[in-house]
Amino acid sequence: MTARTEAELRQALRAWVRAHSPVPVGDGFSDDTPLIASGHLTSLQVTDLLLFVEELRQSPLDPASLRPGAFRDVDAIYATFLS
Amino acid sequence: MTGDLAATAARLSAASRRAYQNPYEAITWPDAVDRDQWFTSPELISLYGTPAWDGLDERARRELSFWEAVNFYSLNIAGERALMEGLAARLYRPGLEDVAEYLHHFLDEENKHSVWFATFCLRYAGKVYPERKVAFPRDYVEGEEDLLFFARVAVFEEIVDRYNVAMGRDDRLAAIARRINANHHAEEARHLVFGRRIVEHLWRRHSPGWAAETVAGVRAHLAAFVEATWREYYNPEVYRDAGFADPWAVARQAWEHPATVAHRRELGRTCLRVLRAAGVLEP
Repeated sequence: MTARTEAELRQALRAWVRAHSPVPVGDGFSDDTPLIASGHLTSLQVTDLLLFVEELRQSPLDPASLRPGAFRDVDAIYATFLS
Repeated sequence: MTGDLAATAARLSAASRRAYQNPYEAITWPDAVDRDQWFTSPELISLYGTPAWDGLDERARRELSFWEAVNFYSLNIAGERALMEGLAARLYRPGLEDVAEYLHHFLDEENKHSVWFATFCLRYAGKVYPERKVAFPRDYVEGEEDLLFFARVAVFEEIVDRYNVAMGRDDRLAAIARRINANHHAEEARHLVFGRRIVEHLWRRHSPGWAAETVAGVRAHLAAFVEATWREYYNPEVYRDAGFADPWAVARQAWEHPATVAHRRELGRTCLRVLRAAGVLEP
């Protein structure tokens, strides 16, 4: 797999949220939109999201990095798992 | 507390005392296992019926069955850890005093199961697969957290039991795998009875006082929990250990394949029937 740029990775994360959010994602959705507080991400979706992130980075995640703050917004997910 | 639930808990406590086992004597552990045996029934392997499965020879399928067993036992360890935390937190909680004695047995038996599962994983695979879960803090209305806890337990255990029942009597499996599954089923049968009764009790007690949006939220949460539970059966680390070059693609393709969708629908029927019978899910 060809390495993806930061912009491509962020775009992939935003697309995942748009596809899986239990509530509608508005036009104002951005990388610093709170995911948990706004209902775009629930704890039960974390497994699915992490598998997606692992596929993006092509390596497993460190379980010690799994804390609620890592899923605050797209910025946090990128910084924690993909940067 | 209704008399029915208290009576069920007392009956189950008596049964647990009669069936009491020393976890360190209940199973004889060989020093090593031959990975050329089956450790998971082929039909229950997550890739069964998919192109990835079709591409494996017999030896590779048996190797995969070993790592699938490690994943199944790892899922049980993670599930039982959350279960034990929740049970311990509810011991002697107001409203649950009449079932406290059974909660002690429940805790004891889950701890023993984890000993068995972890012994297999660590002795023969050298690891337990980590879980990919994070709990986000949230608020609950009265009774909602207890109902969700016991309903999640019921869902998890009903699915696991379908696997245990099938594999506990599958003569193709290595004796140690058959024994672990059969032993787990024998004790889980009591837990399933308790789970069904307490979910029904808590739903009847609390849901009439809940707002419609709370009821809808509980139903949505449990539907999502069923899917999240199944998602963990498709673990890329299993596929990597079994030798697949792109384990995440294998996991995604297996999850989406019609054969596995049908498998989950079939094996998930029991847990959905339990939630519907309790009134939690709509008929």
